[in-house]
Amino acid sequence: MVLKNLNDLRRLVEGGPRKKLVLAAAQDQHSLGAIIKAWKDNIIEPILVGDKEEIESICQSNNYDITGVRIVHEPNIEKSVETAVRMVSSNQADILMKGKIGSATLLRCVLNKEWGLRTGNLLSHFALFEVDTYQKVIAVTDVAMNIAPTLHDKIAIVNNSVACLNRLGYKMPKVAVLGAVEMVNENMQATLDAALLSKMNQREQIRNCIIDGPLAFDNAVSLESAQLKGIKSEVAGDTDLLLMPDIEVGNVLYKSLVFFAKAKVASIILGAMVPIVLTSRSDSEQAKFDSILLAAAACR
Amino acid sequence: MLALKKKHRVAIAWAQDANTVGALGKAVRKGFIEAVLIGNPSEIRGVCRSEGIDEKAFTVVDSDSEENASCEAVRLAKTGEADIVMKGLVGTDKFLRAVMDKEKGIMLPSAVLSYVCALQIPAYHKLLFITDPAVIPFPDLDQKVAMARYAIEMAQRFGIEKPKIALIGATEKVSRHFENSVDYSIMCKMANRNQIKDCIMDGPLDIFLACDKKSIAIKGVETPVDGDADILLFPSLESSNPFYKGLMLFAGGELAGLIRGTQKPVILMSRSESEISKYFCIALSCLMA
Repeated sequence: MVLKNLNDLRRLVEGGPRKKLVLAAAQDQHSLGAIIKAWKDNIIEPILVGDKEEIESICQSNNYDITGVRIVHEPNIEKSVETAVRMVSSNQADILMKGKIGSATLLRCVLNKEWGLRTGNLLSHFALFEVDTYQKVIAVTDVAMNIAPTLHDKIAIVNNSVACLNRLGYKMPKVAVLGAVEMVNENMQATLDAALLSKMNQREQIRNCIIDGPLAFDNAVSLESAQLKGIKSEVAGDTDLLLMPDIEVGNVLYKSLVFFAKAKVASIILGAMVPIVLTSRSDSEQAKFDSILLAAAACR
Repeated sequence: MLALKKKHRVAIAWAQDANTVGALGKAVRKGFIEAVLIGNPSEIRGVCRSEGIDEKAFTVVDSDSEENASCEAVRLAKTGEADIVMKGLVGTDKFLRAVMDKEKGIMLPSAVLSYVCALQIPAYHKLLFITDPAVIPFPDLDQKVAMARYAIEMAQRFGIEKPKIALIGATEKVSRHFENSVDYSIMCKMANRNQIKDCIMDGPLDIFLACDKKSIAIKGVETPVDGDADILLFPSLESSNPFYKGLMLFAGGELAGLIRGTQKPVILMSRSESEISKYFCIALSCLMA
């Protein structure tokens, strides 16, 4: 199955039991807005951890009806994060979401050795874009978390993303390893890593996907470009997942898609026990809602 | 099987040993070469007599030392008076110094000097080309790419349009702890992107997966080489050299090999190599000239 747009994610959550999402430091208007909408749409069951008074006053002034929503009062921000994370590690919640706190604080708690959400895997960022000019949604990783991933890191990032795509219904997602060119060039480390990832995929050392790279961006998303260059590839022109060489390329691509191509985007953090919604304050409410939807669909 | 269009002229440095002169005599008799023997004329005459070859079959050029004979053989090739250079009873280092001399030598500009062998093994269903059993101890990525290209070119001269080339390792898995498996992955992608042309390449593969279909079935590894390799590219001299010597000694193998990266074919064999191997080398060099 292939997702044509982000709304298709709803089909994956419909009918199933509603996933429990716990919002850490919940006194945050944007997050609350998105969560209430997702709750009303039967996508999730929210649990709000934070300053109860503040939460209620935000909801009142924005006309969010939270009758029946569980609120856990914890005015101390660090403690509210710990409480939220502990709820996840003790199986009381299925999704963790960041409220009014810095990402670093949240991640520190996620990585806590005693009660955190460690799995031994690398944490990585996974974004799903809906762009009018592409035939389906396209996943991009890692545009926000890993700065300059080594080959070892890239393997972990691909594995995280492929496992997620598998859960979203992609049996064998097509993974393009992005480079500036589609040729192997000894002076461009990204192209060498791409060659290795392709071979490891061929040898089933990286499973459940089809990897090809290096592919330049145009070859990855346009069959015509790939054919013009004479590239023989199962992935070219039909990419499901784009693997970025580093955060700078990834971040610029992410932001150009949003600002210039008016892409809709949903994003989550993978590699922990559960999906983590870690949108930034500058993300739109729609992006936050779509990210919650993605997290719910990506739950085991 | 291999029709040669013209007679090639071979210049031999210090052609004073029985195996070399014997092989040359046979090739001249078969009519596919002319031979210029460079060395001490009376020594050459002596060897011809003891081998029962008429010295008039050869052109003899007088030379007073191994070094000078090597330089003269290379000079003849450089000026076009000879098509092929061959090492006689000279040490390899002295001979190669003449070949590789920046001004007087016959290296192709910025080429990698390497060695390709064609092996005939009774237990294998066709010729097997191997590289590099003689020159580069630990090839880096660029050298491996050059080795692959030379071997592909040689296989093509034997009429194999798209040779299957296996990049040999101890296992088929990729690991950053095995540097060669890293190079091999990169090379496969280069072949895939047509940066290395006209071949079907896969690696790392062990020799079983490269040359034995049964092993493929057992291991369940999908590989386009499919147990039917034409070429084996080895990660080091220390792996390739014992491989071919083992085959010669225990499995009835015969070989013909050539230096690559030169303007003209250069025949370089161990002085202890048999007459028949030297003869095969001469034939191979004519094919590659």
